[in-house]
Amino acid sequence: MKVTTPGTEGTRRRESVFHRLYVGTGAFDIVGKRARWYVSLGLLVLVCIGSIGFKGFNLGIDFEGGTKLQMPAVGAQGPISDGQVQDAFREAVGRPAETVQIVGTGANQTIQIRTEALDVEEVGAVKQTLFTQLQPLDAQGRPSEQVISDSAVSGTWGGEITQQALIALGVFLVLVTAFLAFYFEKWMAVAALVALLHDVVVTAGVYSLIGFEVTPSTVIGLLTILGFSLYDTVVVFDKVKENTRGLLGLTRRTYPEAANLAVNQTLMRSINTSVIALLPVAGLLVVGAGMLGVGMLRDLALVQLIGMTAGVISSIFLATPLLVDLKMRESKYREHEVKVRQRRERAAAKAAGEDVPEEAPKQAVSAGAGTSRRPSRPAGKSGRPTGKRRR
Amino acid sequence: MAPPAGQIRPGRYLAIFTLIVAALYSLVFFTGDGNPYPKLGIDLQGGTRVTLTARTLDGQPPSNEALNQARQIIETRVNGMGVSGSEVTRDGNNLVITVPGEGGEEAKQLGQTAELNFRKVTSALPAQTPPAGTTPQAAHQQQPGDQQREIDEAKRTRQSTDPNVQMQALQALNCAVDDPLRGNDDPKLPLITCDREGEFKYVLEPVFLPGREVATAQAVPPNQQNPGWTVSLDFKSEGAKIWADFTSANVGQQAAFVLDSEVVSAPTIQAALLGGNAQITGQFNQQSATDLADILKYGSLPLAFDQSEAETVSATLGVASLEAGLFAGGIGLLLVAVYCLLYYRLLGILTILSLVLSGGVVYGVLVLLGRWVGFTLDLAGVAGFIIAIGITADSFIVFFERLKDEIREGRTFRSSVPRAWTRARRTILSADAVSFLAAAVLYVLAVGQVKGFAFTLGMSTVLDLVVVFLVTHPLVALASKSKFLSKPSVSGLGAVQRLGNQNRAARKAATTAKEA
Repeated sequence: MKVTTPGTEGTRRRESVFHRLYVGTGAFDIVGKRARWYVSLGLLVLVCIGSIGFKGFNLGIDFEGGTKLQMPAVGAQGPISDGQVQDAFREAVGRPAETVQIVGTGANQTIQIRTEALDVEEVGAVKQTLFTQLQPLDAQGRPSEQVISDSAVSGTWGGEITQQALIALGVFLVLVTAFLAFYFEKWMAVAALVALLHDVVVTAGVYSLIGFEVTPSTVIGLLTILGFSLYDTVVVFDKVKENTRGLLGLTRRTYPEAANLAVNQTLMRSINTSVIALLPVAGLLVVGAGMLGVGMLRDLALVQLIGMTAGVISSIFLATPLLVDLKMRESKYREHEVKVRQRRERAAAKAAGEDVPEEAPKQAVSAGAGTSRRPSRPAGKSGRPTGKRRR
Repeated sequence: MAPPAGQIRPGRYLAIFTLIVAALYSLVFFTGDGNPYPKLGIDLQGGTRVTLTARTLDGQPPSNEALNQARQIIETRVNGMGVSGSEVTRDGNNLVITVPGEGGEEAKQLGQTAELNFRKVTSALPAQTPPAGTTPQAAHQQQPGDQQREIDEAKRTRQSTDPNVQMQALQALNCAVDDPLRGNDDPKLPLITCDREGEFKYVLEPVFLPGREVATAQAVPPNQQNPGWTVSLDFKSEGAKIWADFTSANVGQQAAFVLDSEVVSAPTIQAALLGGNAQITGQFNQQSATDLADILKYGSLPLAFDQSEAETVSATLGVASLEAGLFAGGIGLLLVAVYCLLYYRLLGILTILSLVLSGGVVYGVLVLLGRWVGFTLDLAGVAGFIIAIGITADSFIVFFERLKDEIREGRTFRSSVPRAWTRARRTILSADAVSFLAAAVLYVLAVGQVKGFAFTLGMSTVLDLVVVFLVTHPLVALASKSKFLSKPSVSGLGAVQRLGNQNRAARKAATTAKEA
């Protein structure tokens, strides 16, 4: 069975990108094109930092302080309009509410009123007036004052949450650095941390750019992205570590190639994981934004959606390429690369006449030596990782 | 690698898991009240939640003792409201009051400092009407830093011992704006302040009798002596003695009852009061007299609190949130299930089964935690679970992808399982460790609703490990031994297996070529 002769390229074409992804023989040259990723991600990060610096964030009520009232959008006389609410509000406290909006859909549609901080008496007065004028209905369809929810937040609360979040971020970074340095190698820890910072900056930047409201839930969400971002990187690096074990003793492939192979092998996993992690989050977003309109569920989902996407992108396009560059600073890896090249040239020279460029059986894993420069698809001719075969 | 590594007896693991589940659910049903529902937070069942943040004079974190004492006092006050299920919990430097159901509005008043002190009045002056232009609004929009500066400034001028500074401060004092010094005055220094109604300004001497000497207080209806409602105080023995000494020495003078730096009442002492009893008169009605008496009776708090967040969630909104949360979780699970089935077929079914079992374990633990340590599931917690679905499912994916790696290299499904497992296990453990670390740090350090989120996320991560080790892996091992289940069309591993065969064939060809 001839699998890997150059001439078979055409017949192998029928395998779609998806198929290649599925079976893990993608052979996408991700590490080789790293300059491209650095530039695009670097630009993205710069834009994000710029936006955070100049445009800032759209801070929610929890950072500015204020009172929020919420009630069902259906009253005894039918649907309640925002104008009616505004009138009632003005009548109760003598000044207009900052915003009145109708959010959510169907039976869960509610009216949200946001104002500067009201004291307890004022909240009571507003609730009373809203009830007497608009008669909002409870779940049983009876008018009830109890259906009006309110929440008051001091201007320092969001700040306090943020402060605690920053402390948590610091502690987490320290612990995680220790963990990574212990579990991985030095450069892996560095690369993972850079990818982590990228995710945080990009997520925050997207929030700033698009002007999404930042609430304490967003801040919480941002912190949990850290976990996910690292999680993803850990999985990829685990494979890199496995592929590069004993690498220097052989001249089979260079470190960048081995790393690229690892990325390819975990690519489908990365995609699967992201899809599976993002599906519930997307569900959360749809329900949070759709049914309830606004609130914690939506905020959490939104920040996770952005952060997880950033996390996957960075673990593929940033963490591993960066790791390769960091590794290649060490002379032993550079020397090794030279050796591999030399050996290849020799082999190529030897194989110039005949058409089966099969080399000595390989040590490291499997399919798709990503950056192989030969015209043939490398997918079919990889070795087994067991060491059972003679070499 | 030694062949038996990763080889297991699936039945044994599954039996252990069954035992755990059985034990868990017997605890759920046969201990405590046997009520198989988790404790819900007020944002899911309706109710009132008030978060109080301790404020200290010098910006230092408040002492543990003071916080605990304050918690107890506020708890007494909450219990006084008579709504069952109310509780006060500490969250870092915050106290969180939760009152489920309706009627919790009062809780918003409970955090008032109500620090009562007794000071002698040096002089009193009617307060003029505030000049136009100074609106009370101004006080709301200040930064925390400004607030601290204002307090310092107020202390410097209004608590000065220098008569000249005192006079200036008295002139400058505007009774119409919110007092930054409120509840923050130093009892050892004189104080210049207004009365509650903003009608008089006072220069007061240092505190001679602290409010903690008050034994009890009650509202007294109008009677012959007093035309309005009054609040009657009884002192503890030490306080009674001080009060008796003071009143004996100061007949004809005024004593001010200062509540939170504001003069509530400044009666003139008619005669020595030796009975350890005092009356606070003022423009009280029944409600305000009762409120004041309650505040005094339950003790003044050792700390001043700012109300950081106060929320009343209607039962309707709570139920809607719960439904939305469950719905979102359901949709999330369904989407994941469909994707897994499409992608992994048989393995997808195992994933779904594992997820469902994981959910069952999580639910049981949740009920027990609610019963034992008072863990309440709030909206943030629900979100944590939903997000954990992804992390839980990922452990399976890591395993299955490893399985595919092995098969791709030409191994059979059956022989791949133990090898894939030993490798996947490492990755799963380390990845979950990172995820758990994030959740644990968040839980310990973060405030507010973050805790619920972090807790459920961390818990799901741990239970995920239990399920992966005790259920998913054994099930896959079992499936790999069954002829039917390992058919490519059922396992969904066909494409990979074909590739594996090709690989094997290619190697064979190469070897033969070489040997030839």
